[in-house]
Amino acid sequence: MNAQMPSKVSLPGVKQVIAVASGKGGVGKSTVAANLAMALHISGHAVGLMDADIYGPSVPIMFGLGMVDPKTTVFPIEKYGIRLMSMGFLVDVNQAVIWRGPKVAQAVQSFLTQIDWGQLDYLIIDLPPGTGDAQLTLSQSAPLTGAVVVTTPGEVSLIDARKGVKMFGEVRVPILGIVENMSYFEDATGTKTPIFGVGGGARLAQESDVAFLGELPIDPRVAQCCDQGEPIVRKYPDAAIARSYMALAKTVADAANKPTATALPFLQL
Amino acid sequence: MATDPTPVTLKREGDLLKIEWNDGITTTVPWKTLRAKCPCATCIEERKKPADPFRILTSQEVEAGAPLPLAMLPVGHYAYKIAWNDGHDTGIYPLTLLRELGDKK
Repeated sequence: MNAQMPSKVSLPGVKQVIAVASGKGGVGKSTVAANLAMALHISGHAVGLMDADIYGPSVPIMFGLGMVDPKTTVFPIEKYGIRLMSMGFLVDVNQAVIWRGPKVAQAVQSFLTQIDWGQLDYLIIDLPPGTGDAQLTLSQSAPLTGAVVVTTPGEVSLIDARKGVKMFGEVRVPILGIVENMSYFEDATGTKTPIFGVGGGARLAQESDVAFLGELPIDPRVAQCCDQGEPIVRKYPDAAIARSYMALAKTVADAANKPTATALPFLQL
Repeated sequence: MATDPTPVTLKREGDLLKIEWNDGITTTVPWKTLRAKCPCATCIEERKKPADPFRILTSQEVEAGAPLPLAMLPVGHYAYKIAWNDGHDTGIYPLTLLRELGDKK
């Protein structure tokens, strides 16, 4: 398909398509996307997770998977009950994907269209950082229900997150809300120490007039679980952060199920 | 952001595109204007150059005659892509541009 000519993709079996985005890298988009997908699954929904980060896919490692033989594997791959697709299944981790934009757009398109996602309540899309090809392709051709924007509390993250919010505004993808990740560290005595500043997520939500979906604390086990290939929501369901994720899943599900932007009408010739 | 007007109906009325918006306003814009204001990168570059006083129409343009749309398809929630009778189809017209170019009634 010509990357300049986005065609509208219809995913008849998928009820809600939710993009997890942020302007900035390293704020925990993939971690949030993986745990949000896991939390939605634990809440009893059929969930898929599509890794749209073509250059730096992280879904495979977070789910304890690696490269597979595409000739003998049926995509999406199912793990812990979640249907997964990622560039990391197709390319060796030690290999770099050195592609120009149109190829990225094409890959994202084919993940959406050429893969049989089946019947899903939620398809979570883990976007790469920035406001480039992958984001634009999805905004133009995927039936997005809305986007969740992830930020950390500090201003450095906010300036980029603001651009992400702005982009979704321009392409009129509804923003379901803003999640603040790495809000604070809580020690054994219950004292909360903010590491990256305070209140950025809530501030951004207020200034851009969108919902604030909540704060996610820092827990060293989050990174550990990611590296070991099992999302923390599943491995330590009693951890404070796991409970935060379960609450986030409920909020996101509620926001996504509210009627949002309707499809544009066709021209009557 | 959520309050930006969106089209309710789009109709082709001869040489005009008529759009009824959800805020009660109806706009009309000639297809010719839309073709001339094509927002694709090639056309924007073309418009930056000084006009060629001796420009000769291509045979494709002559055959097509007045610009008319063959198709006008929604792009995401924010724009339309128009395929023209002269073969050009790379322009994505955001709703804000369609609104700006229209005569309001």
